[in-house]
Amino acid sequence: MAMRDLVTGGAACAVPGSSGSANPLGALANALIGSSSKTQERLNEIPTAAIRTPENQFFPQPTDHLGALPGTEADQSLIRPNAPGSEFMRGFRSAEQGGLADVWDEIQGGVPIIPHDMRVGVDPRFPPPVDGPPQIMLSGLLHSFVDSSRGGMPFVPARLPMLGLSQGDKQCIRDRSTIMARHFFADKSEDFINTQVNALLQSLDIDGDVHAKSLAPGRFREMEDYWNESQGFMKHGPPVGDAWAAEFDQTRMNGPDAWAHSFEQQHGANGWASEFEQEHNQLATTMHQRGAVSPNLAAMEQSRMLAQTLAQNNDPKFQNSQFLRFLSKMSHGEVIFDDNRLKPAPGDWATEFQQQHNAGPSWADEYLHRGPDHWADEFSAEREKNAPLDDQWVNEFSQLHVDDWADEFGRKLAEGALGDETKDDWANAYDEFVNEQIAAKRQSDSSRGVYVFSDMNPYVGHPNPLKEGQELFRKGLLSEAILALEAEVIKNPENSEGWRLLGITHAENDDDQQAIAAMMKAQEADPTNLEVLLALGVSHTNELEQAAALRYLYGWLHHHPKYGVLASPAMPEVFYHTDVARLFQDASQMSPEDADVHIILGVLYNLSREYDRGMESFRRALELRPNDYSLWNKLGATQANSVQSADAILAYQKALDLKPNYVRAWANMGISYANQGMYEESISYYVRALAMNPKADSVWQYLRMSLSNASRHDMLEACDSRNLDILQKEFPL
Amino acid sequence: MPSFKTPFQGYSVKFSPFHPNLLAVATAQNFGILGNGRLHVLSLSGGAGPAPITSPFSFDTADGIYDLAWSESHDSLLIAAVADGSLKLLDTSLPPTANPVRSLSEHSREASSLDFHPTRRDSFLSSSWDDSVKLWALDRPQSLRTFLEHSYCVYSVVWHPRHADVFASASGDRTVRIWDVRDPNSTQVVPAHDHEILTCDWNKYDECVFATGSVDRSIRVWDVRSHRAPLSVIEGHGYAVRKVKFSPHNARIIGSCSYDMSVCFWDYGKEDSCIGRYDHHTEFAVGIDMSVLVEGLVASTGWDGMVYAWQLGTDPRAPM
Repeated sequence: MAMRDLVTGGAACAVPGSSGSANPLGALANALIGSSSKTQERLNEIPTAAIRTPENQFFPQPTDHLGALPGTEADQSLIRPNAPGSEFMRGFRSAEQGGLADVWDEIQGGVPIIPHDMRVGVDPRFPPPVDGPPQIMLSGLLHSFVDSSRGGMPFVPARLPMLGLSQGDKQCIRDRSTIMARHFFADKSEDFINTQVNALLQSLDIDGDVHAKSLAPGRFREMEDYWNESQGFMKHGPPVGDAWAAEFDQTRMNGPDAWAHSFEQQHGANGWASEFEQEHNQLATTMHQRGAVSPNLAAMEQSRMLAQTLAQNNDPKFQNSQFLRFLSKMSHGEVIFDDNRLKPAPGDWATEFQQQHNAGPSWADEYLHRGPDHWADEFSAEREKNAPLDDQWVNEFSQLHVDDWADEFGRKLAEGALGDETKDDWANAYDEFVNEQIAAKRQSDSSRGVYVFSDMNPYVGHPNPLKEGQELFRKGLLSEAILALEAEVIKNPENSEGWRLLGITHAENDDDQQAIAAMMKAQEADPTNLEVLLALGVSHTNELEQAAALRYLYGWLHHHPKYGVLASPAMPEVFYHTDVARLFQDASQMSPEDADVHIILGVLYNLSREYDRGMESFRRALELRPNDYSLWNKLGATQANSVQSADAILAYQKALDLKPNYVRAWANMGISYANQGMYEESISYYVRALAMNPKADSVWQYLRMSLSNASRHDMLEACDSRNLDILQKEFPL
Repeated sequence: MPSFKTPFQGYSVKFSPFHPNLLAVATAQNFGILGNGRLHVLSLSGGAGPAPITSPFSFDTADGIYDLAWSESHDSLLIAAVADGSLKLLDTSLPPTANPVRSLSEHSREASSLDFHPTRRDSFLSSSWDDSVKLWALDRPQSLRTFLEHSYCVYSVVWHPRHADVFASASGDRTVRIWDVRDPNSTQVVPAHDHEILTCDWNKYDECVFATGSVDRSIRVWDVRSHRAPLSVIEGHGYAVRKVKFSPHNARIIGSCSYDMSVCFWDYGKEDSCIGRYDHHTEFAVGIDMSVLVEGLVASTGWDGMVYAWQLGTDPRAPM
């Protein structure tokens, strides 16, 4: 097999049953390297030849939402057809009459399918901070200098409360700010920079006397080593024994000072400074004598000139710089970092600090005392809060690029800024774009819970549409079942069961928006229906709405006759993943035979991206309910999430054995094949899903992508015209 | 023209050597002083349209990312220079969980710049605030060689475009050093500025010419054969010059970006050298690149988190 195939995850090398990824060899190598770095030498997983086709260049990242539905059926993974940007791109593409179509296909081919069949709480593109420094951080420094130099005012350090910066963080801040400060303040003398940096570092409670990186590092290397040595032990793990702990505390308190003392003893106060100055002067003199101009003196001369320029810099851009304001605020203690996000400092910190400071060692005790736990709580709380940020970002993004563009375009069009010959094309594209916008809006309306009924419904007037709907659902005639159930809920809008089944049918039939809308109606009709609550919890998980998902899942527990005792009687205002997960762990201990609890745990672990535990939970549920096809689908989705597409296919197959008309599982199957680069195979599964529900727009999109990725451009027309006859003949399963 | 807002502050931007519509940007949180980093691969519409930039790939690190380099051998391979000193090899075709493909942790301080060898395509250079430059090969877990001569942070390292064994490094010790990888010591030391030198680049057409950018706000163009005086001194930036880049299409054009928030283009052969000035960034402009594949296509990034790609002569922020 060609190396290229191996590397690019070409169809030939995906071994069914093995753990698949876009690059199986890479994954294997990675697994090996992960366990032992020693193996690196023997594995050359890095491609050295051949350019890949653009389609394979990116691991398909999730662009969007996943639908899963409730109570019984769930999970699938699809790119939302109207994802921000893609709408726009489509409009744009037609505008160019195919001119850019190739480019678009290329791009599209690169970004395509979501590997995630069950979406998780956090958009994988924006994972939580990796190993970030501890929650509270205060960076800062630098630009208070700018302000102080501009205003001709010396920088006055402010004492800040103890921030819990680790030694490493402090060193980072100290070193980086010192180095960067030199870049910004070339116009200032070394002394000035040092004084200012020190003042600032002091306010951060960072020992600034020793710069790990000074302009002539050779000279201070020994000191640096000494410093690092004296600090080194602080990075060790937590105290082991009491005696050690006491010693540790003591050293911790006295550490830097002790070092300073010992240094002072050796060299006298201001020892190195005077030494440095002396040497420096000597150097300057020598160089002067030799007729050379000391670079430092020249620099200082230049500095003075620059300083004048700087002081006169009234450039509004600088005055408005966020960065300058940010640092200036930082340096005055007006803002602090909390979990990497800015927040205003509490107003009374100064007093607080003063108190703590005066109290002497007590604050340190307190800090050590309550440090870790408190910190962890705060951290997890912050993490929860961070989640919605992603959505916000997406909103912002779509606004920026879709609406702005539309406005802009409309304006340009009105101005007649575009050439005549292109005008019509653009106009068409614009119309198309607007229509798509309307369609998108309709869809987003329905996601807000507005159920959209079908136009012509032959079941209206049927004597018992619910029974008919249940029967059709059982037979797997999902589109028909939807019509019957719609007739039922038109007849009895208060029928929770009708809405619930309608929601489930939509989910199985691959229409999440409608499914959620129906489920919300069901909940309206019966707020305590456990199946409905579970369904909503799952679908909100798929929608990346962690808070809502947790609320519904908690609601499930709350209303459950058996586990209700676990939940506190009052609904909490904020839900934390860890708390909810713990409650369900308790519930699973109460009755290990309840498959529902395991299912919810599985969903929760998907939410927190603990896929291994998620799979375990679903497997346990499957032991109790081996014939629940939706459970097999959920297991497959979780496996696909943890990049085990090959295993996922087995699970989907199981679901399809149990329910051959399970459209969602057919589509998921196609996605899993496509994610392994087996595009030919994926096409057949998509076609099969579409044969059962030709209305599944997203599946048509995947099909198109797989067709172009498999170089079956001859079939694109059949796909675009939605000609299933041709496609089924060409791609039989 | 297309722009993209990253959640952190931009640090470096580079075009893919394979696809005219791809570029990557290295970003760091909190201005790179403390916090996480993220590398985005961005996709343009192809240069002709008003399409937004999309990000088909991103990768997060525990510390800020100061620079990146695209592999010259494979279009999905990238390296990120992380502020914790490590270099992360990333394969954009792999799922996020499978990245980094490799993590190289040898630098003891912030890794500051990277350059892939243009012809010997499995090797690359890294520079660091630990004063060293290291030579790496893709299939080796350890560096092949460490070049230790600078006495302060090395901010930039670039391969010579024609001589496969030659490279230049720019340091805060106020020198540029020219090296031959076969020799552990530098072959030439150029005291190019009286202030820290933050960047250097080779002319792509004249093998003897390179340019430097310094904290002293000037760009200087040098000839390795006579380095006592610069060929040309370009003054025009109001603060430190963060990056200089020779045009891949024109022997005399240099692009630069600066802490004065501007991105400028210069013709160093002319008396009045400034041929373009772009003030589209609202914070320090720290990253600039010129596309090899599309003439006149340039990209910039800055601490305002914005990434712009535009055709020279047009306004980076202008609507279509």
